[in-house]
Amino acid sequence: MIRAHGLTKRYGGKNPKTAVDDLSFEVRPGTVTGFLGPNGAGKSTTMRMLLGLDAPTSGRCTVGGRAYAGHSAPLTEVGALLEARSIHPGRSAYHHLMALAHTHGFPRSRVEAVLGTTGLSDVAGRRVKGFSLGMGQRLGIAAALLGDPATLILDEPVNGLDPEGVLWIRNLLKAQAADGRTVLVSSHLMSEMAVTADHLIIVGRGKLLADTTVERFVRDSGTGSVKVVSPAAAHLAELLAGPAVTITSDTPGTLDIRGTDAEHIGRTAAAHAVPLFELTPHSASLEQAFMDLTHDSVEYVTPLEGAAA
Amino acid sequence: MTTDTRTPPAPAPARSPYRVTTARVLRSEWHKLWTLRTTWITLIAAVALVLSVGITMGSTYDGDDSDVDTVVFVLFGTQLSQICFAVLGILVTAGEYATGMIRASLTAVPRRRPVLWCKTAVFATVAFTLSLVTNIVTFLVAQIWLSGTDKELSLTDSGVLGALTGSAAAITLLSLIALGMGALLRSVPGGIGAFVGAVLVLPEVIGTLPLDAVDTAVKYFPAQASASLGSLTRVEDTVSAGTGLLTLALWAAAILVAASALLKRRDV
Repeated sequence: MIRAHGLTKRYGGKNPKTAVDDLSFEVRPGTVTGFLGPNGAGKSTTMRMLLGLDAPTSGRCTVGGRAYAGHSAPLTEVGALLEARSIHPGRSAYHHLMALAHTHGFPRSRVEAVLGTTGLSDVAGRRVKGFSLGMGQRLGIAAALLGDPATLILDEPVNGLDPEGVLWIRNLLKAQAADGRTVLVSSHLMSEMAVTADHLIIVGRGKLLADTTVERFVRDSGTGSVKVVSPAAAHLAELLAGPAVTITSDTPGTLDIRGTDAEHIGRTAAAHAVPLFELTPHSASLEQAFMDLTHDSVEYVTPLEGAAA
Repeated sequence: MTTDTRTPPAPAPARSPYRVTTARVLRSEWHKLWTLRTTWITLIAAVALVLSVGITMGSTYDGDDSDVDTVVFVLFGTQLSQICFAVLGILVTAGEYATGMIRASLTAVPRRRPVLWCKTAVFATVAFTLSLVTNIVTFLVAQIWLSGTDKELSLTDSGVLGALTGSAAAITLLSLIALGMGALLRSVPGGIGAFVGAVLVLPEVIGTLPLDAVDTAVKYFPAQASASLGSLTRVEDTVSAGTGLLTLALWAAAILVAASALLKRRDV
Protein backbone atom coordinates (compact mmCIF):
# COMPACT_ATOMS: atom_id res chain seq x y z
CA MET A 1 0.00 0.00 0.00
CA ILE A 2 1.31 3.39 -1.00
CA ARG A 3 -0.27 6.60 0.31
CA ALA A 4 0.51 10.16 -0.71
CA HIS A 5 -1.20 13.06 0.98
CA GLY A 6 -0.88 16.62 -0.26
CA LEU A 7 2.53 15.77 -1.68
CA THR A 8 4.20 18.91 -3.03
CA LYS A 9 7.69 19.52 -4.37
CA ARG A 10 9.04 22.90 -5.42
CA TYR A 11 12.51 23.54 -6.76
CA GLY A 12 14.53 26.71 -6.94
CA GLY A 13 14.63 29.76 -4.72
CA LYS A 14 13.63 32.98 -6.46
CA ASN A 15 11.51 31.55 -9.21
CA PRO A 16 10.33 28.24 -7.84
CA LYS A 17 9.13 25.58 -10.21
CA THR A 18 6.44 23.30 -8.85
CA ALA A 19 7.20 19.75 -9.94
CA VAL A 20 4.51 18.07 -7.83
CA ASP A 21 1.49 20.03 -6.68
CA ASP A 22 -0.68 18.84 -3.78
CA LEU A 23 -0.82 15.26 -5.01
CA SER A 24 -2.90 12.76 -3.03
CA PHE A 25 -3.46 9.16 -4.02
CA GLU A 26 -3.43 5.58 -2.81
CA VAL A 27 -1.96 2.57 -4.54
CA ARG A 28 -3.57 -0.66 -3.38
CA PRO A 29 -2.07 -4.12 -3.29
CA GLY A 30 -3.13 -6.82 -5.69
CA THR A 31 -3.34 -4.67 -8.78
CA VAL A 32 -0.95 -3.07 -11.22
CA THR A 33 -1.32 0.69 -10.98
CA GLY A 34 -0.15 2.73 -13.93
CA PHE A 35 1.30 6.14 -13.19
CA LEU A 36 0.83 8.23 -16.29
CA GLY A 37 1.62 11.70 -17.38
CA PRO A 38 3.41 13.62 -20.08
CA ASN A 39 7.07 14.48 -19.65
CA GLY A 40 7.62 16.86 -16.75
CA ALA A 41 4.37 15.85 -15.08
CA GLY A 42 6.24 14.99 -11.88
CA LYS A 43 6.14 11.19 -12.05
CA SER A 44 9.83 10.60 -11.34
CA THR A 45 9.90 13.27 -8.64
CA THR A 46 6.91 11.64 -6.94
CA MET A 47 8.63 8.25 -7.04
CA ARG A 48 11.83 9.72 -5.61
CA MET A 49 9.80 11.23 -2.75
CA LEU A 50 8.17 7.84 -2.08
CA LEU A 51 11.69 6.41 -1.71
CA GLY A 52 12.93 9.20 0.52
CA LEU A 53 15.50 10.36 -2.03
CA ASP A 54 13.81 13.76 -2.39
CA ALA A 55 12.21 15.46 0.58
CA PRO A 56 8.71 16.85 -0.08
CA THR A 57 8.30 20.62 0.26
CA SER A 58 5.05 19.78 2.02
CA GLY A 59 2.72 16.83 2.41
CA ARG A 60 3.70 13.29 3.26
CA CYS A 61 3.86 9.83 1.79
CA THR A 62 4.04 6.35 3.25
CA VAL A 63 4.85 2.96 1.85
CA GLY A 64 3.65 -0.10 3.73
CA GLY A 65 2.27 2.09 6.51
CA ARG A 66 5.29 4.25 7.29
CA ALA A 67 7.76 6.61 5.70
CA TYR A 68 10.23 4.70 3.55
CA ALA A 69 13.21 5.61 5.75
CA GLY A 70 11.35 4.26 8.80
CA HIS A 71 11.58 0.65 7.65
CA SER A 72 14.26 -1.49 9.27
CA ALA A 73 14.62 -3.59 6.11
CA PRO A 74 13.54 -1.21 3.34
CA LEU A 75 14.50 -3.53 0.47
CA THR A 76 12.05 -6.15 1.72
CA GLU A 77 9.35 -3.49 1.81
CA VAL A 78 9.92 -1.69 -1.50
CA GLY A 79 11.81 -2.64 -4.62
CA ALA A 80 12.48 0.29 -6.88
CA LEU A 81 13.71 0.94 -10.38
CA LEU A 82 14.48 4.60 -10.98
CA GLU A 83 14.54 6.28 -14.33
CA ALA A 84 18.08 7.49 -13.88
CA ARG A 85 20.66 4.73 -13.75
CA SER A 86 21.67 3.82 -10.23
CA ILE A 87 24.50 1.42 -10.94
CA HIS A 88 28.28 1.86 -10.92
CA PRO A 89 29.36 0.81 -14.43
CA GLY A 90 32.73 -0.43 -13.22
CA ARG A 91 31.22 -3.15 -11.05
CA SER A 92 29.91 -6.48 -12.33
CA ALA A 93 26.20 -7.23 -12.15
CA TYR A 94 26.84 -9.88 -9.51
CA HIS A 95 28.91 -7.59 -7.30
CA HIS A 96 26.43 -4.73 -7.68
CA LEU A 97 23.65 -6.94 -6.35
CA MET A 98 25.89 -8.51 -3.71
CA ALA A 99 26.87 -5.06 -2.37
CA LEU A 100 23.18 -4.22 -1.99
CA ALA A 101 22.43 -7.67 -0.52
CA HIS A 102 25.08 -7.21 2.18
CA THR A 103 23.26 -4.17 3.63
CA HIS A 104 20.32 -6.39 4.60
CA GLY A 105 22.11 -9.70 5.09
CA PHE A 106 20.51 -11.36 2.06
CA PRO A 107 22.32 -14.58 1.16
CA ARG A 108 24.21 -15.10 -2.09
CA SER A 109 21.46 -17.49 -3.21
CA ARG A 110 19.05 -14.56 -3.30
CA VAL A 111 21.37 -12.66 -5.66
CA GLU A 112 21.68 -15.71 -7.88
CA ALA A 113 17.90 -16.14 -7.87
CA VAL A 114 17.18 -12.61 -9.14
CA LEU A 115 19.95 -12.89 -11.71
CA GLY A 116 18.16 -16.00 -12.95
CA THR A 117 14.73 -14.36 -12.90
CA THR A 118 15.99 -11.45 -14.99
CA GLY A 119 17.94 -13.66 -17.39
CA LEU A 120 21.31 -12.17 -16.44
CA SER A 121 23.02 -15.30 -15.04
CA ASP A 122 25.30 -15.65 -18.05
CA VAL A 123 26.54 -12.07 -17.91
CA ALA A 124 26.61 -11.71 -14.11
CA GLY A 125 30.41 -11.56 -14.03
CA ARG A 126 30.70 -8.88 -16.69
CA ARG A 127 31.12 -5.24 -15.83
CA VAL A 128 27.97 -3.21 -16.29
CA LYS A 129 29.92 -0.81 -18.52
CA GLY A 130 29.44 -3.22 -21.43
CA PHE A 131 25.72 -3.75 -20.90
CA SER A 132 23.10 -2.71 -23.42
CA LEU A 133 20.27 -0.44 -22.32
CA GLY A 134 18.00 -3.46 -22.00
CA MET A 135 20.50 -5.44 -19.91
CA GLY A 136 21.01 -2.42 -17.66
CA GLN A 137 17.26 -2.22 -17.24
CA ARG A 138 17.08 -5.91 -16.36
CA LEU A 139 19.80 -5.42 -13.75
CA GLY A 140 17.83 -2.53 -12.26
CA ILE A 141 14.80 -4.80 -12.05
CA ALA A 142 16.92 -7.56 -10.49
CA ALA A 143 17.94 -5.06 -7.80
CA ALA A 144 14.28 -4.13 -7.27
CA LEU A 145 13.33 -7.79 -6.79
CA LEU A 146 16.30 -8.54 -4.51
CA GLY A 147 14.43 -8.21 -1.21
CA ASP A 148 11.29 -9.98 -2.47
CA PRO A 149 9.48 -6.71 -1.62
CA ALA A 150 5.81 -6.19 -0.82
CA THR A 151 5.75 -3.12 -3.06
CA LEU A 152 7.33 -2.48 -6.44
CA ILE A 153 7.91 1.07 -7.70
CA LEU A 154 9.17 1.05 -11.25
CA ASP A 155 9.89 4.16 -13.30
CA GLU A 156 9.57 3.47 -17.04
CA PRO A 157 10.62 -0.18 -16.75
CA VAL A 158 10.12 -1.04 -20.42
CA ASN A 159 12.52 1.68 -21.60
CA GLY A 160 15.14 0.13 -23.82
CA LEU A 161 13.69 -3.36 -23.71
CA ASP A 162 13.08 -5.39 -26.85
CA PRO A 163 9.58 -6.80 -27.52
CA GLU A 164 10.44 -9.99 -25.68
CA GLY A 165 11.61 -7.94 -22.70
CA VAL A 166 8.45 -5.83 -22.77
CA LEU A 167 6.33 -8.99 -22.66
CA TRP A 168 8.48 -10.32 -19.82
CA ILE A 169 7.96 -7.12 -17.76
CA ARG A 170 4.24 -7.20 -18.44
CA ASN A 171 3.93 -10.76 -17.16
CA LEU A 172 6.24 -10.09 -14.25
CA LEU A 173 4.19 -7.10 -13.08
CA LYS A 174 0.93 -9.01 -13.40
CA ALA A 175 2.35 -11.99 -11.53
CA GLN A 176 3.66 -9.75 -8.75
CA ALA A 177 0.25 -8.08 -8.39
CA ALA A 178 -1.51 -11.45 -8.49
CA ASP A 179 0.67 -12.48 -5.53
CA GLY A 180 -0.89 -9.61 -3.59
CA ARG A 181 1.92 -7.13 -4.00
CA THR A 182 1.49 -3.42 -4.60
CA VAL A 183 2.80 -2.45 -8.03
CA LEU A 184 3.20 1.15 -9.17
CA VAL A 185 4.63 1.52 -12.65
CA SER A 186 5.13 4.72 -14.57
CA SER A 187 5.09 4.81 -18.31
CA HIS A 188 4.53 7.16 -21.19
CA LEU A 189 3.37 4.22 -23.33
CA MET A 190 -0.42 4.30 -23.07
CA SER A 191 -0.80 1.20 -25.17
CA GLU A 192 1.48 -0.64 -22.75
CA MET A 193 -0.55 0.45 -19.73
CA ALA A 194 -3.78 -0.60 -21.44
CA VAL A 195 -2.62 -4.22 -21.38
CA THR A 196 -0.64 -4.13 -18.13
CA ALA A 197 -2.40 -1.87 -15.63
CA ASP A 198 -5.73 -2.31 -13.89
CA HIS A 199 -5.73 1.05 -12.22
CA LEU A 200 -4.54 4.45 -13.38
CA ILE A 201 -3.19 7.53 -11.67
CA ILE A 202 -2.81 10.28 -14.22
CA VAL A 203 -0.88 13.46 -13.51
CA GLY A 204 -0.26 16.60 -15.52
CA ARG A 205 1.97 19.46 -14.40
CA GLY A 206 2.30 17.84 -11.00
CA LYS A 207 -1.42 17.73 -10.35
CA LEU A 208 -3.71 14.74 -10.17
CA LEU A 209 -5.87 14.54 -13.28
CA ALA A 210 -7.49 11.16 -12.76
CA ASP A 211 -7.46 8.27 -10.29
CA THR A 212 -9.54 5.54 -11.81
CA THR A 213 -9.56 2.11 -13.41
CA VAL A 214 -8.44 1.65 -16.98
CA GLU A 215 -11.92 0.51 -17.98
CA ARG A 216 -13.75 3.37 -16.33
CA PHE A 217 -11.27 5.90 -17.55
CA VAL A 218 -11.93 4.99 -21.16
CA ARG A 219 -15.68 4.87 -20.62
CA ASP A 220 -15.91 8.14 -18.70
CA SER A 221 -13.65 10.02 -20.99
CA GLY A 222 -16.66 10.22 -23.32
CA THR A 223 -14.83 9.61 -26.52
CA GLY A 224 -16.40 6.21 -27.21
CA SER A 225 -18.61 6.25 -30.28
CA VAL A 226 -21.01 3.92 -32.07
CA LYS A 227 -21.09 3.56 -35.82
CA VAL A 228 -24.58 2.97 -37.22
CA VAL A 229 -25.51 2.21 -40.82
CA SER A 230 -29.21 2.45 -41.58
CA PRO A 231 -31.39 3.30 -44.60
CA ALA A 232 -33.41 5.51 -42.23
CA ALA A 233 -30.42 7.25 -40.69
CA ALA A 234 -31.99 10.68 -40.56
CA HIS A 235 -35.05 9.33 -38.74
CA LEU A 236 -32.93 7.43 -36.26
CA ALA A 237 -30.88 10.56 -35.59
CA GLU A 238 -34.06 12.41 -34.67
CA LEU A 239 -35.13 9.61 -32.33
CA LEU A 240 -31.80 9.56 -30.54
CA ALA A 241 -31.32 13.32 -30.26
CA GLY A 242 -30.73 14.52 -26.72
CA PRO A 243 -28.61 17.02 -24.80
CA ALA A 244 -25.76 14.56 -24.12
CA VAL A 245 -25.80 12.95 -27.55
CA THR A 246 -23.81 14.17 -30.52
CA ILE A 247 -24.41 12.67 -33.91
CA THR A 248 -22.27 13.25 -36.94
CA SER A 249 -22.54 11.84 -40.39
CA ASP A 250 -19.73 11.65 -42.92
CA THR A 251 -21.54 9.69 -45.55
CA PRO A 252 -25.32 9.44 -46.13
CA GLY A 253 -26.81 6.52 -44.26
CA THR A 254 -23.93 6.32 -41.77
CA LEU A 255 -24.01 7.87 -38.31
CA ASP A 256 -21.27 8.34 -35.76
CA ILE A 257 -23.02 8.61 -32.41
CA ARG A 258 -21.43 9.74 -29.15
CA GLY A 259 -23.01 10.05 -25.74
CA THR A 260 -25.04 6.89 -25.71
CA ASP A 261 -24.33 3.20 -26.14
CA ALA A 262 -25.03 0.52 -28.72
CA GLU A 263 -27.65 -1.14 -26.54
CA HIS A 264 -29.77 2.01 -26.31
CA ILE A 265 -29.42 2.65 -30.03
CA GLY A 266 -30.40 -0.92 -30.88
CA ARG A 267 -33.48 -0.86 -28.63
CA THR A 268 -34.57 2.54 -29.92
CA ALA A 269 -34.23 1.36 -33.51
CA ALA A 270 -36.19 -1.83 -32.77
CA ALA A 271 -38.94 0.07 -30.96
CA HIS A 272 -39.46 2.30 -33.97
CA ALA A 273 -38.90 -0.42 -36.56
CA VAL A 274 -35.84 1.26 -37.98
CA PRO A 275 -33.76 -1.31 -39.87
CA LEU A 276 -30.04 -1.40 -38.93
CA PHE A 277 -27.36 -2.70 -41.30
CA GLU A 278 -24.54 -2.09 -38.90
CA LEU A 279 -24.18 -1.27 -35.20
CA THR A 280 -20.54 -1.09 -34.15
CA PRO A 281 -19.27 0.31 -30.83
CA HIS A 282 -15.83 1.89 -30.99
CA SER A 283 -14.35 2.19 -27.52
CA ALA A 284 -11.82 4.96 -27.33
CA SER A 285 -8.28 3.78 -27.01
CA LEU A 286 -6.50 4.55 -23.76
CA GLU A 287 -4.06 6.54 -25.82
CA GLN A 288 -6.79 8.78 -27.21
CA ALA A 289 -8.44 9.27 -23.83
CA PHE A 290 -5.10 10.13 -22.27
CA MET A 291 -4.25 12.60 -25.02
CA ASP A 292 -7.59 14.33 -24.59
CA LEU A 293 -7.12 14.57 -20.85
CA THR A 294 -3.56 15.84 -20.82
CA HIS A 295 -4.26 18.15 -23.74
CA ASP A 296 -6.87 19.83 -21.60
CA SER A 297 -4.50 20.01 -18.66
CA VAL A 298 -1.91 21.72 -20.78
CA GLU A 299 -4.46 24.24 -22.07
CA TYR A 300 -6.30 25.11 -18.90
CA VAL A 301 -3.99 23.82 -16.13
CA THR A 302 -6.99 22.81 -14.04
CA PRO A 303 -7.55 19.27 -12.82
CA LEU A 304 -10.33 17.38 -14.52
CA GLU A 305 -11.87 15.86 -11.45
CA GLY A 306 -14.82 14.55 -13.39
CA ALA A 307 -12.71 11.75 -14.78
CA ALA A 308 -12.19 10.34 -11.30
CA ALA A 309 -15.84 10.49 -10.29
CA MET B 1 -3.50 0.55 26.24
CA THR B 2 -3.39 -2.37 28.65
CA THR B 3 -1.36 -5.48 28.51
CA ASP B 4 -2.67 -8.81 29.69
CA THR B 5 0.23 -10.57 31.33
CA ARG B 6 -1.59 -13.80 32.17
CA THR B 7 -2.11 -15.14 28.69
CA PRO B 8 0.94 -16.11 26.70
CA PRO B 9 1.55 -13.79 23.76
CA ALA B 10 0.21 -14.94 20.44
CA PRO B 11 2.98 -16.48 18.37
CA ALA B 12 4.70 -13.56 16.72
CA PRO B 13 4.87 -13.69 12.96
CA ALA B 14 8.19 -15.17 11.93
CA ARG B 15 10.55 -12.22 12.17
CA SER B 16 12.48 -11.64 9.02
CA PRO B 17 16.20 -12.15 9.61
CA TYR B 18 16.84 -9.32 7.16
CA ARG B 19 17.41 -5.83 8.44
CA VAL B 20 19.95 -3.10 7.97
CA THR B 21 22.65 -3.06 10.64
CA THR B 22 25.89 -1.10 10.93
CA ALA B 23 27.92 -4.28 10.56
CA ARG B 24 26.08 -5.10 7.33
CA VAL B 25 26.55 -1.61 5.91
CA LEU B 26 30.27 -1.94 6.72
CA ARG B 27 30.34 -5.26 4.88
CA SER B 28 28.56 -3.69 1.91
CA GLU B 29 31.00 -0.78 1.76
CA TRP B 30 33.94 -3.18 2.04
CA HIS B 31 32.49 -5.19 -0.85
CA LYS B 32 31.92 -2.05 -2.92
CA LEU B 33 35.49 -0.84 -2.37
CA TRP B 34 37.16 -4.03 -3.52
CA THR B 35 34.93 -4.77 -6.51
CA LEU B 36 36.10 -1.76 -8.51
CA ARG B 37 39.24 -1.78 -10.62
CA THR B 38 40.03 1.83 -9.75
CA THR B 39 40.56 0.80 -6.12
CA TRP B 40 43.18 -1.76 -7.05
CA ILE B 41 44.87 0.57 -9.52
CA THR B 42 45.16 3.52 -7.11
CA LEU B 43 46.27 1.36 -4.19
CA ILE B 44 48.87 -0.56 -6.20
CA ALA B 45 50.13 2.74 -7.61
CA ALA B 46 50.35 4.21 -4.10
CA VAL B 47 52.38 1.27 -2.78
CA ALA B 48 54.61 1.11 -5.87
CA LEU B 49 55.40 4.83 -5.68
CA VAL B 50 56.49 4.77 -2.04
CA LEU B 51 58.49 1.59 -2.48
CA SER B 52 60.22 2.63 -5.70
CA VAL B 53 61.08 6.12 -4.47
CA GLY B 54 62.36 4.62 -1.21
CA ILE B 55 64.55 2.12 -3.07
CA THR B 56 65.83 4.85 -5.35
CA MET B 57 66.70 7.12 -2.43
CA GLY B 58 68.39 4.29 -0.53
CA SER B 59 70.34 2.82 -3.43
CA THR B 60 71.65 6.19 -4.65
CA TYR B 61 72.54 7.67 -1.28
CA ASP B 62 76.07 8.95 -1.13
CA GLY B 63 76.04 10.69 2.23
CA ASP B 64 75.12 14.20 1.04
CA ASP B 65 71.65 14.62 2.42
CA SER B 66 72.43 14.39 6.08
CA ASP B 67 70.16 17.30 7.09
CA VAL B 68 67.02 15.21 6.36
CA ASP B 69 66.13 12.56 8.89
CA THR B 70 66.10 8.94 7.82
CA VAL B 71 62.36 8.28 7.93
CA VAL B 72 61.50 11.41 5.92
CA PHE B 73 64.30 10.50 3.53
CA VAL B 74 63.12 6.96 2.72
CA LEU B 75 59.42 7.98 2.62
CA PHE B 76 59.71 10.81 0.08
CA GLY B 77 57.38 8.74 -2.10
CA THR B 78 54.50 9.31 0.32
CA GLN B 79 54.08 12.78 -1.18
CA LEU B 80 53.05 11.00 -4.38
CA SER B 81 51.06 8.20 -2.74
CA GLN B 82 49.15 10.87 -0.83
CA ILE B 83 47.60 11.98 -4.13
CA CYS B 84 46.58 8.36 -4.92
CA PHE B 85 44.90 7.91 -1.54
CA ALA B 86 43.20 11.31 -1.76
CA VAL B 87 41.84 10.52 -5.23
CA LEU B 88 40.57 7.14 -4.02
CA GLY B 89 38.90 8.86 -1.06
CA ILE B 90 37.13 11.22 -3.44
CA LEU B 91 36.11 8.34 -5.71
CA VAL B 92 34.62 6.45 -2.76
CA THR B 93 32.12 9.25 -2.13
CA ALA B 94 31.85 11.51 -5.19
CA GLY B 95 32.19 8.49 -7.51
CA GLU B 96 28.79 7.25 -6.35
CA TYR B 97 27.21 10.54 -7.38
CA ALA B 98 28.95 10.52 -10.76
CA THR B 99 27.57 7.07 -11.57
CA GLY B 100 24.18 7.30 -9.83
CA MET B 101 25.14 4.42 -7.51
CA ILE B 102 24.34 6.73 -4.57
CA ARG B 103 20.62 6.32 -5.35
CA ALA B 104 20.92 2.56 -4.95
CA SER B 105 23.03 2.96 -1.81
CA LEU B 106 20.61 5.36 -0.13
CA THR B 107 17.57 3.34 -1.18
CA ALA B 108 19.11 0.33 0.59
CA VAL B 109 20.13 2.43 3.61
CA PRO B 110 17.61 5.29 3.74
CA ARG B 111 18.89 6.55 7.09
CA ARG B 112 21.78 7.72 4.95
CA ARG B 113 24.38 8.69 7.58
CA PRO B 114 25.55 5.08 8.14
CA VAL B 115 26.58 4.97 4.48
CA LEU B 116 29.03 7.84 4.93
CA TRP B 117 30.35 6.65 8.29
CA CYS B 118 30.86 3.11 7.04
CA LYS B 119 32.59 4.38 3.90
CA THR B 120 34.84 6.46 6.16
CA ALA B 121 35.61 3.54 8.46
CA VAL B 122 36.36 1.09 5.65
CA PHE B 123 38.47 3.54 3.71
CA ALA B 124 40.39 4.71 6.81
CA THR B 125 41.17 1.13 7.82
CA VAL B 126 42.42 0.23 4.35
CA ALA B 127 44.41 3.45 3.86
CA PHE B 128 46.03 3.31 7.30
CA THR B 129 46.88 -0.39 7.23
CA LEU B 130 48.26 -0.30 3.71
CA SER B 131 50.26 2.90 4.36
CA LEU B 132 51.73 1.54 7.57
CA VAL B 133 52.78 -1.78 6.01
CA THR B 134 54.18 0.02 2.97
CA ASN B 135 56.11 2.44 5.18
CA ILE B 136 57.65 -0.36 7.27
CA VAL B 137 58.55 -2.45 4.23
CA THR B 138 60.01 0.56 2.42
CA PHE B 139 62.03 1.53 5.47
CA LEU B 140 63.43 -1.99 5.83
CA VAL B 141 64.21 -2.36 2.14
CA ALA B 142 65.93 1.03 1.98
CA GLN B 143 68.07 0.03 4.96
CA ILE B 144 69.67 -2.67 2.80
CA TRP B 145 71.61 0.16 1.13
CA LEU B 146 71.67 2.61 4.02
CA SER B 147 73.31 0.33 6.54
CA GLY B 148 76.80 1.56 7.20
CA THR B 149 75.93 5.16 6.32
CA ASP B 150 74.84 7.91 8.71
CA LYS B 151 71.24 6.94 7.88
CA GLU B 152 71.49 3.45 9.30
CA LEU B 153 68.60 2.85 11.69
CA SER B 154 66.54 -0.13 12.81
CA LEU B 155 62.81 -0.36 13.42
CA THR B 156 63.43 -0.65 17.13
CA ASP B 157 65.43 2.60 17.34
CA SER B 158 63.75 5.34 19.27
CA GLY B 159 61.04 7.14 17.35
CA VAL B 160 61.30 5.09 14.13
CA LEU B 161 58.08 3.11 14.49
CA GLY B 162 56.33 6.22 15.74
CA ALA B 163 57.37 8.24 12.70
CA LEU B 164 56.42 5.43 10.28
CA THR B 165 53.02 5.20 11.98
CA GLY B 166 52.66 8.97 12.08
CA SER B 167 53.25 9.15 8.35
CA ALA B 168 50.52 6.55 7.75
CA ALA B 169 48.16 8.45 10.06
CA ALA B 170 48.83 11.72 8.25
CA ILE B 171 48.16 10.12 4.85
CA THR B 172 44.96 8.56 6.14
CA LEU B 173 43.60 11.74 7.75
CA LEU B 174 44.44 13.91 4.74
CA SER B 175 42.69 11.34 2.52
CA LEU B 176 39.66 11.44 4.81
CA ILE B 177 39.54 15.20 4.25
CA ALA B 178 39.49 14.39 0.52
CA LEU B 179 36.75 11.79 1.05
CA GLY B 180 34.71 14.36 2.96
CA MET B 181 35.23 16.95 0.22
CA GLY B 182 34.02 14.42 -2.34
CA ALA B 183 30.88 13.85 -0.29
CA LEU B 184 30.29 17.60 0.10
CA LEU B 185 30.88 18.50 -3.54
CA ARG B 186 29.39 15.31 -5.07
CA SER B 187 31.73 15.63 -8.04
CA VAL B 188 35.00 13.80 -8.71
CA PRO B 189 36.70 16.67 -10.58
CA GLY B 190 35.29 19.14 -8.05
CA GLY B 191 36.61 17.08 -5.15
CA ILE B 192 40.07 16.69 -6.66
CA GLY B 193 40.17 20.40 -7.50
CA ALA B 194 39.10 21.37 -4.00
CA PHE B 195 41.63 19.06 -2.37
CA VAL B 196 44.56 20.21 -4.50
CA GLY B 197 43.49 23.84 -4.31
CA ALA B 198 42.48 24.19 -0.68
CA VAL B 199 44.78 21.65 0.98
CA LEU B 200 47.91 21.63 -1.16
CA VAL B 201 48.11 25.02 -2.94
CA LEU B 202 46.20 27.60 -0.88
CA PRO B 203 48.41 27.50 2.24
CA GLU B 204 51.55 27.83 0.08
CA VAL B 205 50.09 30.92 -1.55
CA ILE B 206 48.85 32.71 1.55
CA GLY B 207 52.00 31.65 3.41
CA THR B 208 53.90 34.15 1.25
CA LEU B 209 51.95 37.03 2.78
CA PRO B 210 54.24 39.02 5.09
CA LEU B 211 52.03 38.70 8.17
CA ASP B 212 52.97 36.82 11.33
CA ALA B 213 49.38 35.89 12.05
CA VAL B 214 49.10 34.24 8.65
CA ASP B 215 52.33 32.32 9.21
CA THR B 216 50.95 30.98 12.47
CA ALA B 217 47.57 30.11 10.97
CA VAL B 218 49.14 28.29 8.02
CA LYS B 219 50.91 25.92 10.45
CA TYR B 220 47.48 24.60 11.34
CA PHE B 221 46.37 23.95 7.79
CA PRO B 222 45.99 20.20 7.17
CA ALA B 223 49.03 19.55 4.99
CA GLN B 224 51.27 21.80 7.13
CA ALA B 225 50.02 20.32 10.39
CA SER B 226 51.03 16.86 9.16
CA ALA B 227 54.66 17.88 8.51
CA SER B 228 56.17 16.55 11.75
CA LEU B 229 54.02 13.42 11.90
CA GLY B 230 56.21 11.35 9.60
CA SER B 231 59.48 12.64 10.99
CA LEU B 232 61.87 11.49 13.71
CA THR B 233 62.41 15.07 14.83
CA ARG B 234 60.16 18.07 14.81
CA VAL B 235 60.42 19.82 11.44
CA GLU B 236 61.42 23.46 11.74
CA ASP B 237 58.56 25.99 11.80
CA THR B 238 55.85 23.40 12.18
CA VAL B 239 53.65 22.25 15.02
CA SER B 240 54.65 19.17 17.04
CA ALA B 241 53.62 15.69 15.96
CA GLY B 242 50.99 15.46 18.70
CA THR B 243 49.49 18.85 17.93
CA GLY B 244 49.63 18.03 14.24
CA LEU B 245 47.78 14.75 14.72
CA LEU B 246 45.07 16.46 16.77
CA THR B 247 44.77 19.32 14.27
CA LEU B 248 44.45 16.93 11.34
CA ALA B 249 41.90 14.81 13.15
CA LEU B 250 39.82 17.92 13.89
CA TRP B 251 39.96 19.01 10.24
CA ALA B 252 38.86 15.59 9.03
CA ALA B 253 36.12 15.37 11.67
CA ALA B 254 34.79 18.85 10.85
CA ILE B 255 34.55 18.13 7.13
CA LEU B 256 33.00 14.70 7.65
CA VAL B 257 30.43 16.06 10.11
CA ALA B 258 29.51 18.78 7.61
CA ALA B 259 29.25 16.17 4.83
CA SER B 260 27.11 13.95 7.04
CA ALA B 261 24.73 16.80 7.91
CA LEU B 262 24.31 17.71 4.26
CA LEU B 263 23.92 14.08 3.21
CA LYS B 264 20.94 13.80 5.52
CA ARG B 265 19.31 16.96 4.21
CA ARG B 266 19.94 17.14 0.50
CA ASP B 267 17.89 15.56 -2.25
CA VAL B 268 19.72 12.87 -4.19
